[in-house]
Amino acid sequence: VTAGGGTATLPAAAGLNADAAAGEDAGGIVVVIDDDYAMRLSCYQILSRMGFQVELFEDGASGLEGVACHKPCLVVVDLKMPGIGGLEVVDRIHEIDPAIITIVITGYATIGTAVDAMKSGAYDFLPKPFAPDELRVIVHRGLERRRLQRESRRHQLERELLRRRFVTFVSHQLKTPLVAIHQYLDVLRRLDDSPDAAAHRAEWLDRCLVRTAEMRALIDDWLTLAEAEGGLLVRRREPVELTRLIPPLLDTYEEFARRVEVSLSADMPAEPLMVMGDRNCLSVLFDNLIVNAIKYNRPGGTVRVSAGLSTGEVVVAVADTGVGIPAAQHHLIFEEFYRLPHPEHGAPPGSGLGLPICRRIVSELGGRIELESEEHVGSTFRVRLPATAPTAAAVAQTLEPSHGN
Amino acid sequence: METRLGGHRILIIDDDADFGTSVASFLEANGYQVSQARSGREGLRQALVEHPDLILMDVMMGERTEGLFAVQQLRRMPELSGVPVFIVTSLYASVPGFRIEPSAQWLAHDAFFAKPLDLPFLLDAIRTRLELPAAAPTGGGEA
Repeated sequence: VTAGGGTATLPAAAGLNADAAAGEDAGGIVVVIDDDYAMRLSCYQILSRMGFQVELFEDGASGLEGVACHKPCLVVVDLKMPGIGGLEVVDRIHEIDPAIITIVITGYATIGTAVDAMKSGAYDFLPKPFAPDELRVIVHRGLERRRLQRESRRHQLERELLRRRFVTFVSHQLKTPLVAIHQYLDVLRRLDDSPDAAAHRAEWLDRCLVRTAEMRALIDDWLTLAEAEGGLLVRRREPVELTRLIPPLLDTYEEFARRVEVSLSADMPAEPLMVMGDRNCLSVLFDNLIVNAIKYNRPGGTVRVSAGLSTGEVVVAVADTGVGIPAAQHHLIFEEFYRLPHPEHGAPPGSGLGLPICRRIVSELGGRIELESEEHVGSTFRVRLPATAPTAAAVAQTLEPSHGN
Repeated sequence: METRLGGHRILIIDDDADFGTSVASFLEANGYQVSQARSGREGLRQALVEHPDLILMDVMMGERTEGLFAVQQLRRMPELSGVPVFIVTSLYASVPGFRIEPSAQWLAHDAFFAKPLDLPFLLDAIRTRLELPAAAPTGGGEA
């Protein structure tokens, strides 16, 4: 650390790199409240050289107003001031925003009060007189604590969000089908002898079976992910030829796609594209992407699956002409239990676990999944997986026949 | 099958077709004319045309509490503001911390039912409600 001393002669830029606070509070606002002009001035020099915007106040009342209007990340406050004392200022600052770090400056006579200030939430105290480095170190530490607090709050919020999504998952996606099944069975029982029930019995029982199957699939997805928490989804590594795996998958959705008036097409290269992976997992991966592309499409839309090789990677793109995904939700759709509402039809049936499973599989295979999407135009999910040697060799042969091995 | 013409009209607004169909059949077998809608918006549109005597409204539709929004809207429409709405939801009973107070002003006169429905109980409530003289627009609470 550059020992700048109290003198303001160092060029600001030189001190900046060595002392600058890192992270979100870099360049943030620091408020200094002290009735001593010399003390305000030296705090100003030290802190502004650290890159902060420094606001100075000479008493508690104006300082508190300053805190309320500047929303600083940190406040340096003298304990012994005429008017509102430092201890009360600390209390009031934390009423304004408990996340503000306060550091109290104290003369020898007020150390007891400094301890009181810390009990009421001040981060630390600095006895007068202090060296510039002492202030710098304490400010750095204080802001580090602020960063950690903010991070832990963020984690807490994320956990809360996940918990809430789980409650939604259980109540909506598991309970809804159960309620429907229950209601069918109950009505069938109550209308037992009526011609009404007789006419519908077969149809309703069929629906009960469909809903049961949906629930089972949902629970399977969920278990798949839950299991993966403690291990791997991808169990085997075998050479898999994607150019032969994908077209039959598409075929199985021909019927479903026709029903919702979406046309499917595949654009596979002539040479085989191989990756090392688990055939089942790869099927699940592309299956999920294809189903989503059909579900979130519109009548008359298309789903196009294309594959190719690019700098040692096999790239498979599943492109739809559907509703698209707002940019703000791009990261959310890979989260568990999140389901994108279809703007016209609400959320289509699904577990909300498909894409998280895809993401897992791809990352376990050493690849990545990219999303390109425009609202009302469509989405393209691009899977990149490392190509295995045979493919690379095959391609080398096609490009430069004379150097083939 | 045998629908008594002139029987009371009930509109079921629920995004789950299976739930709606089963309850509709039960109510039809008990002499009501039943129609269905799959979203709040569709439901309001249908209600304006059909003038139902009572509405069964789901809450969670398309992952949102769309039903509550629909009730609020409905209360602001002069043509529909007097139609009794029964809220039917699994949310009411199952989500911790989620409670809609039946006495809340905009829900005055409405009732809540948990999913799955206790059918005889529902039937009873519908009969009682439809035999009542037209309710005053606000106040009260105990239906």
